[in-house]
Amino acid sequence: MPRLRRSSVNSKDRLRKLADEELMELVAGNDADAFEVVLERHEDAAFALAYRICGKRSVAEDIAQESFLAVWRSGTRYDRTRGSVRTWTLGIVHNRAVDALRRNSVHERRRLSDEGIEETLEAPERTEVQAVENATSREIRGALGELPSEQRRVIELAYFGGFTHMEIASMLGMPIGTVKGRMRLGLQKLRGQLQGWGALSS
Amino acid sequence: MSQRESDFDCARLNDAAAYVLGALQDAELASFREHMDGCAHCRAQVAELQTVADELPMSVPAAAAPASLRGRILASVRSEAELLNAAGPAADEPVKSARPWYRRNDFVLGAGAAAAAGLAALIAVLIAVGSSSHGAVTTIPGKGIGVARTAEVSLKRGNGRAELVVAHMPPPALGRIYEVWLVHGKAAPKATNALFSVTSGGSGEVDVPNSLHGVDEVLVTSEPAGGSLHPTRPPVIAVPLTAS
Repeated sequence: MPRLRRSSVNSKDRLRKLADEELMELVAGNDADAFEVVLERHEDAAFALAYRICGKRSVAEDIAQESFLAVWRSGTRYDRTRGSVRTWTLGIVHNRAVDALRRNSVHERRRLSDEGIEETLEAPERTEVQAVENATSREIRGALGELPSEQRRVIELAYFGGFTHMEIASMLGMPIGTVKGRMRLGLQKLRGQLQGWGALSS
Repeated sequence: MSQRESDFDCARLNDAAAYVLGALQDAELASFREHMDGCAHCRAQVAELQTVADELPMSVPAAAAPASLRGRILASVRSEAELLNAAGPAADEPVKSARPWYRRNDFVLGAGAAAAAGLAALIAVLIAVGSSSHGAVTTIPGKGIGVARTAEVSLKRGNGRAELVVAHMPPPALGRIYEVWLVHGKAAPKATNALFSVTSGGSGEVDVPNSLHGVDEVLVTSEPAGGSLHPTRPPVIAVPLTAS
């Protein structure tokens, strides 16, 4: 006799009404339908982040795929007290993308991160990549854009370029302490801005 | 608020920013984590800045994921779910093994995952690899070893590039990835940035980036995600290159 499929218990429509955190409890019990809803919600953001970091569509796809499989297989390790499902998932994507990037030569990474900042980030029509803007992303990009450029640059080189502060220091010809100081000032300013807009809880 | 924090509180507060951005070197990372255990200022600073770093992905313009991505992910997920659910509630408990790595089954993370891998290999559909022989592309056969013994392996070489193509290959274990190595004579295998995984059908291909000039053998091992500088496991694929 065929086993009762979970989907008949949790129909897609019902699952779509659940919060991510509730879905993750089902995912921890190997519910593939619940996972599908999580995937639907976050696949675009995951792909976009991977693409922004590694600059190659095929690599970004692989990273997104591995990251979601990691989310699926480690669903039991998700801890809601430590942040949203989206943050957790994108953290996995970020780590994997940066790892992949760090295996590239410094030259290639620098090229990518330079393009990333001046071009990829702004490019209105990227080949085959359909941009779907939303308000939050515009707000946060706006806040980044309002940072003094020397602060924004060190933050972007670290977070999207995968460079260590020492690499950034030698690239920009400035002392390590200055790089770290700018990172911190920049993040604190960003925090102030985002809090002002209510994008961050205080 | 952050303003009340001053650098007099702790000389390492600036490290907190580099830490949340992932910009500390490995050695510093360990020492900063240790430092945080005993420094409330740095812990507070990290907590505060982490919420900002967590928002950085949102600054990326949204891009629609390729339509095929969801299907590929769900194919793996559904076959694993079926096996795990059939195997009962304990199936996905991690299997801890005290045996050394070279004696351990490659799929230490769970019987379910191993079963899924086995199934994936069994139901693998060989994706026809067009053997378009324009230019002087030579196909060099390789072999799968151990857990990958069912794999079909070939190295396509020509037109100044080389590509490793696999079929019926089990996926790497959770958190791991396949890495390509080049062996010159008796020297230790040289790392490449060629990392790959396989589809749920067990097929995959990867460009072998470095010149194969003087390379005697191409190896593949399963490494922690992100790859390694030196192989940490025995090879699962070997492609001997005959001296030409």
